[in-house]
Amino acid sequence: MKLINCPINGVRPVSEFVFGGELREMPDPDQCSDADWATYVHHRNGAPGLKKEWWYHAPSGTWFIAERNTMTEEIVRTYLFGQEEEK
Amino acid sequence: MQNTSIIQPSPITYGHIAEPSKIGSVHGMAVALKFGNGDEESKRRQLIGIADISCLSRFGVKGPNAVQWLRAHKVDLPEERNSWVATSSGAVVLRLGNSEFLIEDSPTSSLAPSLASDPPKMFGVYTVRRSDASLVLSGSRVQELLAEVCTLDLSEKALGKNAVVMTQVAGISATVLRQSLNGETVYRLWCDGTYGTYMWHTLVEIAEELGGGAVGLSSYFKELA
Amino acid sequence: MSMRLPRSTGEWINRDKVIKFSFEGKDYTAFEGDTVSSALWAAGERALGRSFKYHRPRGVLSFANHDVNVMLTDGLDTNIRGDVVTIRDGQKFVAVNTDGGVRNDKNKYIDSISPLLPVGFYYKAFHTPRRMFPFWENIIRKAAGLGIVNFNFPRVTKRKLNRHCDLLVIGAGPAGLSAALVAAEAGLDVVVVDENQYAGGSLSYDRAGSGELATKLADLLSMVNRTPNIKLYTGAYAAGYYTDHLVPIVRADGITKVRAKSVIVASGAFEQPPVFRNNDLPGVMLGSAAQRMIHRYSTKPFDKGLVVTANDHGYRVALDLIEAGVKVLAVVDLRASGQNADLMSNVVRKGIAVHTGQCVYEAVPTEGKFGVKEAVVCPFDEATATVDTSKAVTIPCDGIAMSAGWAPAAALLYQAGTAMRYDYTVQQFVPAKLPAGVFAAGKVNGVFDLAQRVHDGARAANDVLRYLGKPAADVVVSEHAGAAPSHPYPVVPHPKAKNFVDFDEDLQLKDFINGAKEGFDNIELMKRFTTVGMGPSQGKHSNMNAIRILARIRGLPVEKIGTTTARPFFHPTPIGHLAGRGLHPHRLTPMHAWHEEAGAEFVEVGPWMRAAYYKKPGLSKAEIVQEEALAVRHAAGIIDGGSLGKFELQGPDASEFLNRFYTGIFSSQKIGETRYALMLDEAGVVVDDGVVSRLGLESFYVTVSTSNAAAVYREMQRCLQTWKLNVGLTNVTGAVGLINVAGPKARQIVAKTTSLDISDKAFPFGEIRETEVAGVPARIIRVGFVSDLAFEIHMAAGYARHVWDALLAAGKDEGLRPFGTDAQRLLRLEMGNHLVGHDTDGLTNPFEIGAEWAIKMAKGFFVGQRSLKIIAKRPLKKRLVPFVLDESYKGQMPQECNLVIEDGQIKGRTTSVSYSKSAGRVIGFAYVDPNQASPGSRFNIRTDSGVMVKATVVKAPFVSLQQGA
Repeated sequence: MKLINCPINGVRPVSEFVFGGELREMPDPDQCSDADWATYVHHRNGAPGLKKEWWYHAPSGTWFIAERNTMTEEIVRTYLFGQEEEK
Repeated sequence: MQNTSIIQPSPITYGHIAEPSKIGSVHGMAVALKFGNGDEESKRRQLIGIADISCLSRFGVKGPNAVQWLRAHKVDLPEERNSWVATSSGAVVLRLGNSEFLIEDSPTSSLAPSLASDPPKMFGVYTVRRSDASLVLSGSRVQELLAEVCTLDLSEKALGKNAVVMTQVAGISATVLRQSLNGETVYRLWCDGTYGTYMWHTLVEIAEELGGGAVGLSSYFKELA
Repeated sequence: MSMRLPRSTGEWINRDKVIKFSFEGKDYTAFEGDTVSSALWAAGERALGRSFKYHRPRGVLSFANHDVNVMLTDGLDTNIRGDVVTIRDGQKFVAVNTDGGVRNDKNKYIDSISPLLPVGFYYKAFHTPRRMFPFWENIIRKAAGLGIVNFNFPRVTKRKLNRHCDLLVIGAGPAGLSAALVAAEAGLDVVVVDENQYAGGSLSYDRAGSGELATKLADLLSMVNRTPNIKLYTGAYAAGYYTDHLVPIVRADGITKVRAKSVIVASGAFEQPPVFRNNDLPGVMLGSAAQRMIHRYSTKPFDKGLVVTANDHGYRVALDLIEAGVKVLAVVDLRASGQNADLMSNVVRKGIAVHTGQCVYEAVPTEGKFGVKEAVVCPFDEATATVDTSKAVTIPCDGIAMSAGWAPAAALLYQAGTAMRYDYTVQQFVPAKLPAGVFAAGKVNGVFDLAQRVHDGARAANDVLRYLGKPAADVVVSEHAGAAPSHPYPVVPHPKAKNFVDFDEDLQLKDFINGAKEGFDNIELMKRFTTVGMGPSQGKHSNMNAIRILARIRGLPVEKIGTTTARPFFHPTPIGHLAGRGLHPHRLTPMHAWHEEAGAEFVEVGPWMRAAYYKKPGLSKAEIVQEEALAVRHAAGIIDGGSLGKFELQGPDASEFLNRFYTGIFSSQKIGETRYALMLDEAGVVVDDGVVSRLGLESFYVTVSTSNAAAVYREMQRCLQTWKLNVGLTNVTGAVGLINVAGPKARQIVAKTTSLDISDKAFPFGEIRETEVAGVPARIIRVGFVSDLAFEIHMAAGYARHVWDALLAAGKDEGLRPFGTDAQRLLRLEMGNHLVGHDTDGLTNPFEIGAEWAIKMAKGFFVGQRSLKIIAKRPLKKRLVPFVLDESYKGQMPQECNLVIEDGQIKGRTTSVSYSKSAGRVIGFAYVDPNQASPGSRFNIRTDSGVMVKATVVKAPFVSLQQGA
């Protein structure tokens, strides 16, 4: 079973986590076209590679970002949302 | 605020697995003081004892200014996230993550009610309503029990003296720490009260297979005998 | 005729303890520690089971824990492996795959008709005509499979434990023990696991006639036992490799899930049989099997026999056989040259004839194929694998020991993602690139010399130390010298076949040739077509030969063929082990004990146990539900709603947060007011709904549906982070109890428990009050979900039971009755309230459920808003409407999810359907064409049997309201 390093609680088995989908930049809803919005909502790039994903450590209620290589299954790093620079 | 005339039930229903021989009201909650006769209980307890201490007073607070607020109320605080300290009166103060705290009194301390009587009103501090099932576990075979219900290594070697662990125990979210209580190493465990009966039954079932089982609150807190 | 040898040091049996058992109805004795196979063999039995397909008698093949032809039942366990399980006194065994016993199996005729059953026969022969398939399927299913499942198996809890270590060593042979000692010396916490009853690996059997290795093993084990930071598990196997070094170890009484920081796989190698006619007869066995039998169980494999070999190991086997008193008639070596001179001369010095460049062409069976009568030996050209039968010599014998090579026990290495390469110096697949933290040592790593294996273990341990960032030494392991331990093609063709490659699945050489002819000449396809490696031993003795044969058929080098990955579990593992204790976490409300006493039938709602209805003698469930619902309509009902999600939001940005999270406006909400809250996802799909109450300027209380509570809370937490709003959010779902009192008499009942003025004027619908109920602090909300007059009382969970009792007492003379979730569902339907997740699905937008009123498009951003703008431009495809069936309708009851059909086109479906006593007819919700959504429209529902039922769109609610009573 995979281990994930929660930035607050440390290394835990994946069974303690809930996957929260890919981290995506929301376009400005007032400015973007319908097509751009639809792409944001519905289009997911399934190509393997480095993805930024939301993960949630359930016992502590901690959301964080994991950078995961979906080709190798390796989690490169994890950090709290918005605290990427501090790492 | 507690209404002193109403006795609350423990979030744990003991039945089915082991019936207490003595129930008493502590801090307005009816809890098991004893299971079986004293000899049986202390024999069980040497291997694995599990007691329901949900009746102890509890107070939760969180928010970016929680530290400030608690300091203003002269509460000893753990400096590190996910760690705990004991106050001079025996209450435990747990820091859950960075900015949430759980305070649980000893049978004789009264930190939680005093904090609750003057709840935070300042910006960035919020009371967290608690209704935990709170357990204490110990005994020579307690590691075998923990190894079955938790994937983490909770042994003395691996779990820091003042570490607080939020993990899954028997499949549900729980908070665990290790403490020296009257010279004995014990584990303290909190989970949501609505899971209390499930947690109790699961742990007691395993403990009984290992020669231990349910023991009363007074087995850990003699003053409540 | 006892085959038991005199007592020897290191034997695995306890001669001081004699135990009794029976096999196929006959009584035997054994020593404690004997397996079924060793005890029977020692007693002179040869036929221990029947093969899977052809029902041929089989004995011992590998004695390495995968002799799956000896599978037994003791009436309790289904498939007991004869070479693994040690006998308990009094056990009664029967072989599983026979019809009438091992000696007189009625299915033995299948062997004689086997030419009619080529590989792929079943796929092709019973495929058509299709209508006949069920008939054939029934027969084939009876023939397939081994033991019979015992449905009366007692529930025995097999504990699943977690364990942590720095290093897990798989295999306690010379390499593994050496690695463990080096790593432990450096301070690592080491776990060693070995599937055998005792540690030692090859040291416990491969002795080449010398007693020296027994002493070496004893020394090694005493060092291990003296090392406190080595934990040795024997009689337990590493069942698989899972991500990040999680390896479940299957013990007799459960599973230990070991989470290691590093893993050394020192699992050794499986000996592979040479392929020749009748190589499966009882008495023909692998050389290492003969050695295990001699040294572990002090049992003679046969009296006089041959050793057929294609490597140097056969000579070691011959020396062990001689030492055990077996009359070795000859060593037959497939190789023309390249033999190890020392070993060969040792054998020759004992007076044994060595025939090089010769093969066993066939083993000739005794009557009934229960043993070997003689062996036919012929000259063999190993390069072309051709036999010169003109010079055949027949040697009478009762046993043949075979040594032709090895296959690495690399299942866990493959599962971990190791890239393997074919090493021609050892003629074996060896690890080429190992994943981080995984190491290999010993035979599995292609190292065969004993001293070098010990070095390789030390080398691997140092690699581990380096990986863990500790000081490490460089250990040099010598390259393999001399002949390869494995022969590149130990396969002897025979026109009459029965030269077995896979003994689990009864596959012969010709099956592979035929498979390739059919076009299945890729290893993965061949595996599936022939089923090679798909038996219970998962190809442990067969996959390597299969690869060699396929390589030869295709004229490719072995490495071009590739390998297949044996999946977990490494050995057949009982279901009970996988089940473990079987934990079912569930949440109980504070009133749970009351519900139990009141005879509630519980239903799981998300993690919660809720009362579905309260049983009453003599009444059916449907009758009870109608009764409970009628009580709410005519008097009052009380329901425990503690499972509802309950959140508190405090802080200056709380109303802004709710504005963005839900579709409504909350900034303008008055203190003491409640508002409906509809939650959408970014695509504008309805995902949840709830009620938002404003308690103060910066204080809100939100209730959401039971089943979505955890997900909604998570989403709130995430949005708080991304929106960077100043809100204190707490989940008080478990901390707050909830009781709903509903019905025309609700007000007079609740009024008895509170001093608050709850008249319609003072406390109208849609408002919240903070007060005391039954002497405890509580919030009361005027709700209208199940009845237009209802009070939802929220209080600390610890007081909920007290309040519940007080309300029941207050309602005692008012006809107050508890109701469960079944009645609640009916009641909300009668009220015309849809349920998100029940009447909506993962694509439903708010316009389809008529929730336009709840959406404030004009306000600032909210989740789903942008998508709604797009959806609003498009024509509505369907609409959820309340409907009734005609009062007189007596036909088949439509079910939820029946289709709504107009002109042969699917227009929608029903989502809720129920008979309502209050309405006096069947009522429900359905999606219909928007053109048919106005009250009075008629549409068709197709029932399960295909009958079309006319339904009429109506205006909700279905029941007349008391309007606040």
